[in-house]
Amino acid sequence: MNQTAQQTVRVDLEQGLHMVPCSLIARTAERFPCEIHIQKEDRSADAKTMLDLLTLSAENGSMLVLQASGEEARAAVDALARLFESNFSDTDPGSNC
Amino acid sequence: MHVKHGIAVSPGVVTGEVLVLGTEDFRIPQRFVSIDAVESELGRFRNTLETVWSEIKENERLASDRLGDQFGAIFGAHLQMARDPKLIAEIEQLISERSFSPEYACSRVLRRFAGELQNLGNQYHAERAVDIFDLEKRILRHLLGQRREELVHLTAPVIVLAHNLTPSETASLDRKFVLGFATEVGGRTSHTAILAGALEIPAVVGLGHFLADVSGGEMVIIDGNHGEVILDPDEETLAQYRELEQQVHSVSERLASLKTLPAETIDGTRIALWGNIEFPEEAEVCQGHGAEGIGLYRTEFLYLETNQIPSEEDHYQAYRQVISAYPDHPVTIRTLDIGADKVPETHDEIGDDIVNPVLGLRSVRLSLHNLPLFKIQLRAILRAAVDGDVRVMFPLVSNLLELRQARMILSDVMDDLEEQQIPFRRDVPVGIMVEVPAAVMLAEEFAREVDFFSIGTNDLIQYTLAVDRADPSVAALYRPGDPSILRLIRAVIIAAAKYDVPVTVCGQMSSDPMFIPLLVGMGIRKFSSTPHAIPELKEVIRNLTIEQAEQIAEHAESLDLARDVENYLRGELNRICPDLVF
Repeated sequence: MNQTAQQTVRVDLEQGLHMVPCSLIARTAERFPCEIHIQKEDRSADAKTMLDLLTLSAENGSMLVLQASGEEARAAVDALARLFESNFSDTDPGSNC
Repeated sequence: MHVKHGIAVSPGVVTGEVLVLGTEDFRIPQRFVSIDAVESELGRFRNTLETVWSEIKENERLASDRLGDQFGAIFGAHLQMARDPKLIAEIEQLISERSFSPEYACSRVLRRFAGELQNLGNQYHAERAVDIFDLEKRILRHLLGQRREELVHLTAPVIVLAHNLTPSETASLDRKFVLGFATEVGGRTSHTAILAGALEIPAVVGLGHFLADVSGGEMVIIDGNHGEVILDPDEETLAQYRELEQQVHSVSERLASLKTLPAETIDGTRIALWGNIEFPEEAEVCQGHGAEGIGLYRTEFLYLETNQIPSEEDHYQAYRQVISAYPDHPVTIRTLDIGADKVPETHDEIGDDIVNPVLGLRSVRLSLHNLPLFKIQLRAILRAAVDGDVRVMFPLVSNLLELRQARMILSDVMDDLEEQQIPFRRDVPVGIMVEVPAAVMLAEEFAREVDFFSIGTNDLIQYTLAVDRADPSVAALYRPGDPSILRLIRAVIIAAAKYDVPVTVCGQMSSDPMFIPLLVGMGIRKFSSTPHAIPELKEVIRNLTIEQAEQIAEHAESLDLARDVENYLRGELNRICPDLVF
């Protein structure tokens, strides 16, 4: 069944959305069957591709829109939003990696 | 279209497709595969990818265990990158739809991503390009496995772009397929540059970082006259260069017709034009360009080519080969002129304590330090001299004691040969390279004890101006036209004239037609240059009178800036031979 979901999140990482958070986003996103995009101003990245996410160049404090459409869209957006809310802290120590 | 500026080391203009040599020696052996191989190549790519994934996972586990989770996370990110669906789709598409080889497809796609990151204008992201290169290397390492191929196995014409090329890599370039090359590092007098000149392919070095923008396969123009590399040229530029290519070609055809004519000024003064060589095979190239002898045979390639000390027989055979091309003309053999760091066994002995190789144990110092090594070479030279007009020349002599010691060893070797009843030649002329300012200061004293001088301009400029041309940050300070250099050359000529010692000028300065009127005007009558420059030098000489040359020298020597000297000389050359100034 087709659904859409959307939520705005804020990047709260000193280094911005760097390599490790990008990899965590992609790793989370790929678990869902729906299409997920992350939009920053006029740029949009496929949340399942880490290289795309890197090119968003989302710095600390930037606002991102999580958009999903398709099966489990809501769950996907929630899962990603949780990553941002927890500041990627489960696995990422916020280091300079 | 990107234009990059570097140091022109080998003239000519060429247009072609790029082949990038990775910084870690990964050479993409072929860019395309045949249509019926596409399926199996796709399979090879997927298998490789799986190996790469498990390798990164293993690294992630090890790093987490030993260093902590935050370090493991780096590899976690690498893994995610290697599994990126967009990346994989793009690579597979290039393989299946355009028959790219997996190596070429991976390299191209990853480099494009790296370029995108670098162009975001953010330091952090620019540095992430390194992670992508790391992934590229990892994939290529697995893809190539035992299939890593040498440059020698090229099958289609390309222009080679690399971070650096070693002299042996340069030497192994196949002229049939390598149209030209450009490197990020290197200088005018590096061995790589010297070899490019010998191979007669256009080359530019010292371009600084530019390879991240290039994946291979795109069009590139190498302008070896101006030291420019143009990536992805637009149509207009391409057309312009193709025309220039034609023009250069027709000038060199005309110059080739001078081959059999003498190098003689308008007013009838003969000038000797000799060739510089590194490999014995080049003696024939010298003949082809009308060189009347070998003014500088750089023998160090005997040491650099293999990882072994060459035997007396290796030396002898190499010298014989050169002499057989020039049985009745001068063949000037320079003894070993490299640092101890480049000689296998010596290196083991002295270890890694070399502080500054340029000012260290090298050239004649190394020979005098390692007499068995020196004697092997001298024996071979004296034996080979039986069949020709051989001269022996010691490099980097900086005090009289070194010359006297070297001569003493030479006469010891003669005694040994005589005792062993081995045929050799006793009256071999002995000369020195004048390439250290100290030798210029003492030129009169040296002139009493040698049969000839050869001014080695490359090192003389380096030691006088304290500039390493291979270092791009100071390369612009390396100026043959510097008034200090002209004054040193003048001093050598005056001292030599007192004792009737002939002076040759070798090095890049004597291969540049712009300096010929000046040097002839100063009194130089013998030049030794890269063989391909000889027709041009001859053309200049044949359009010059001694009086005119003397006036040019007088004016050039009155100027006090290198820039003014070089601009003036370029202008004069333009009046003498307009079509040599491109």
